[in-house]
Amino acid sequence: MRKREIIKAQSPFGQSISVKNASLWYKDFQAIKNISMEIPEKHITAFIGPSGCGKSTLLKCFNRMNDLVEGCVVKGEFKIGDTDIYGKIDINELRKNVGMVFQKPNPFPMSIYDNIAYGPRTFGIHKRVALDEIVEGSLKQAAMWEELKDRLNKSALGLSGGQQQRLCIARALAVKPEIILMDEPTSALDPISTGKIEELCDNLKKTTTIVIVTHNMQQATRISDKTGFFLLGELIEYGDTEQIFTSPKDERTEKYITGRFG
Amino acid sequence: MSAKFKEKAGEALFALASVLCIVALLAIFVFLIIKSVPAFEKIGFFSFVFEDKWMPNREDTYGSDLSGTYGIFTMIAGTLASTAGALLIGGILGYFTAVFIVFYCPKKLKRPVSTVINLLAGIPSVVYGFFGIAFLLPLLSNIAPNNGSGLLATSIILGIMILPSVVSLSKTSLEAVPRIYYEGALALGTNHTRAVFKVMVPCARGGIIASLVLGIGRALGETMAVVMVAGNSVAYPHSLFNSFRVMTANIVMEMGYAGEVQEGALVSTGVILMLFVLIVNLIFNAIASKAVKAPNKNKQPSRVKEKLLFIKQKSSDAVSRLAFKVKASEIGGYSARAGGIIVSLVLALIIGFVAVNGIPYLLKNPYLVFGKYEFGSQRVSIFPSIICTVLAVVLSLSIATPIGIATAIFLNEYTAKSSLFVRLIRMAISILSGVPSIIYGLFGLITFVRIFGGSSSVISGSLTISIMLLPTIVRTTNESLKNVPTSLREASLALGAGKMRTIFKVVLPCALPGILSAVILSIGRVVSESAPLLYTMGSTIKPTPKSLLDGGATLSVALYRLASEGWYINEAYATAAVLIILVLGLNLTAELVGNRLGRKLQGDKNEEKRNN
Repeated sequence: MRKREIIKAQSPFGQSISVKNASLWYKDFQAIKNISMEIPEKHITAFIGPSGCGKSTLLKCFNRMNDLVEGCVVKGEFKIGDTDIYGKIDINELRKNVGMVFQKPNPFPMSIYDNIAYGPRTFGIHKRVALDEIVEGSLKQAAMWEELKDRLNKSALGLSGGQQQRLCIARALAVKPEIILMDEPTSALDPISTGKIEELCDNLKKTTTIVIVTHNMQQATRISDKTGFFLLGELIEYGDTEQIFTSPKDERTEKYITGRFG
Repeated sequence: MSAKFKEKAGEALFALASVLCIVALLAIFVFLIIKSVPAFEKIGFFSFVFEDKWMPNREDTYGSDLSGTYGIFTMIAGTLASTAGALLIGGILGYFTAVFIVFYCPKKLKRPVSTVINLLAGIPSVVYGFFGIAFLLPLLSNIAPNNGSGLLATSIILGIMILPSVVSLSKTSLEAVPRIYYEGALALGTNHTRAVFKVMVPCARGGIIASLVLGIGRALGETMAVVMVAGNSVAYPHSLFNSFRVMTANIVMEMGYAGEVQEGALVSTGVILMLFVLIVNLIFNAIASKAVKAPNKNKQPSRVKEKLLFIKQKSSDAVSRLAFKVKASEIGGYSARAGGIIVSLVLALIIGFVAVNGIPYLLKNPYLVFGKYEFGSQRVSIFPSIICTVLAVVLSLSIATPIGIATAIFLNEYTAKSSLFVRLIRMAISILSGVPSIIYGLFGLITFVRIFGGSSSVISGSLTISIMLLPTIVRTTNESLKNVPTSLREASLALGAGKMRTIFKVVLPCALPGILSAVILSIGRVVSESAPLLYTMGSTIKPTPKSLLDGGATLSVALYRLASEGWYINEAYATAAVLIILVLGLNLTAELVGNRLGRKLQGDKNEEKRNN
């Protein structure tokens, strides 16, 4: 039987991500072309680039959500820590350790409490006291405890868009992931909610690796330590955020960040 | 390891259920082919379809020469004529009613009127038939040379029966027309009625035509109500009042005692009927899918087409000039109001008629419902029928619901959407959901009844009706599953939950309102169906069944018996009242359950607002 220890136990995975010669096809279309990169632990790494450049696709390789897409073929090496994630692993264990926040907030149509408790319950925690603790901890981590503590049993769908998205982050945090992937988490939100989420990311990186896909260049400069620029399935340039935005080496990167195409 | 085993076992179970479902559905096709092909060969396809002499001989076998004649052309004509009549009455009335509900009905009345229309759909066809016998025929006999039965009575009853399908689908497509079109028309200075009939209705044309086609499908396959008012002699419907027979009636009149070739000929009648229904469904799908698509992409018309278009435009210009002069759309406005009122009156009439005549009798004679059945007694008791109905509901649902839901889960969650396998099942299900219920009855009679000892029984009846329920349950569950956003599945999987957990904790709870109301509507269907149960479950009121191998009439079949024998008219009124109360109760529950749960899942937004 799965016990509570599982969540507390040291993860079999690490916190850094390493990609070597990765390519990916959706049927005949090659969405990722021979990409290699090292993503350091406990940093925020931003993926930028015009729509359809493959940045979200690459992100979804890290927790193998691409497996759900029909006709998707992946080649190359993806490692988290020292574990080959396309090798023989328990995919649910992988996804527990690599959390994900989606573009549109997707809370379950349940109460706020049940939303956050869903993950822990999946991994065998059913004691009310333990769940209460996790729910409170996750909401505090997401800086939502004060605004939500009196309405934990209300439907999550009654929250505003920004609150829903932060709830989704809290829900992801509840299973104590080592890495969190964020796929344009603020693109559907207002500036104030966006600010709150960026603040949250900054706090989270003390313990967690964050990879964030964004269309918002200012956001990338504000929060990320490293930035990768993607174009038509290729990784054009990857380095420290400051360097990318102040002295890009590639002409295409410069054109994109100065808003001349894309 | 154990988690992995659970996943695999779950998938295997879902797959097994869908295989069972496919076998059941395929069995019907196989049965129809095996039984009809020899008959077609023996009789000859063309003489079967185009000869108008039907004089079957029970003694005929495939081994010997035929001494009877088997031609169903009179019945094909009968079916087509009554369907056309139904369309004329129900189609036009339904169209105007839909327009009324969407554009003319006061806001407060909108929901009640729509609910009333939906309730009309739930009333068992035997009740319509009974209404025909007890109210319509006596009324018509004042102007008819005979007792009133014939084409007119059949068309009226069928017309009322197809109303709900026509109204609800037309209504949906009218409501789907963007309101900005209406506002645009008003901004140009047109009045309400002209905006409705010149802008909104034409935009919804595809959906309205599809609703009429759906109505045609329903009229083609209707059995019991027609049997009760058409007269059923083998003859063409050459006047409004002469006894004639439709294809479904042919099956139900003779299947109980058919000989070998005769049985084949009855199945073949079913096959021909299915062909008609199939064609109608194909047309329906073509129109419905076109109606959904965006208004035509600007294609460059060819020269000839251009000329034709020009002519068409000229003539339609002339028509619309005329229509403008006589203020056609004004007339349309009045017709819409009249349609709404007439439909409400019709429903009030049917329910009122049955209630006024039935409920007092019921109250005075509680024996009818609660009394013990006594053989040969003058005091009728429908208590055994109530037990039979309950048994049929419980058994058939406990077979069909798990299989149907599991099949839908397998289709939706485990298989690639475009695979051949899935498309085949989808096709089989869409064909079977249009098959007239009498064909299931025929199937049950020839398979289950023979397997279980040759006489009708609770088990054969329940099996028959559970196969009939399968397509609907699979389809509605599938729809509800499809409506669960993919993002929720992704959220669950991204948290590390397995597929089974995702299905049972996230997907199914979200789809629950749809599934539950499908189940409740299925209960209603078992209660109201009579044609498939007549010869599989039992056609007479017998003592309460002691085992599943005993049979007996369900409430609907009992009503058919009581009404058509003519001895127990008061008892028939009372039974009809019981049926209506039951079915209306079930339909209302389904609607409430759907709404309540739906609102719960939407999040109590209103409550949130109140709190703030």
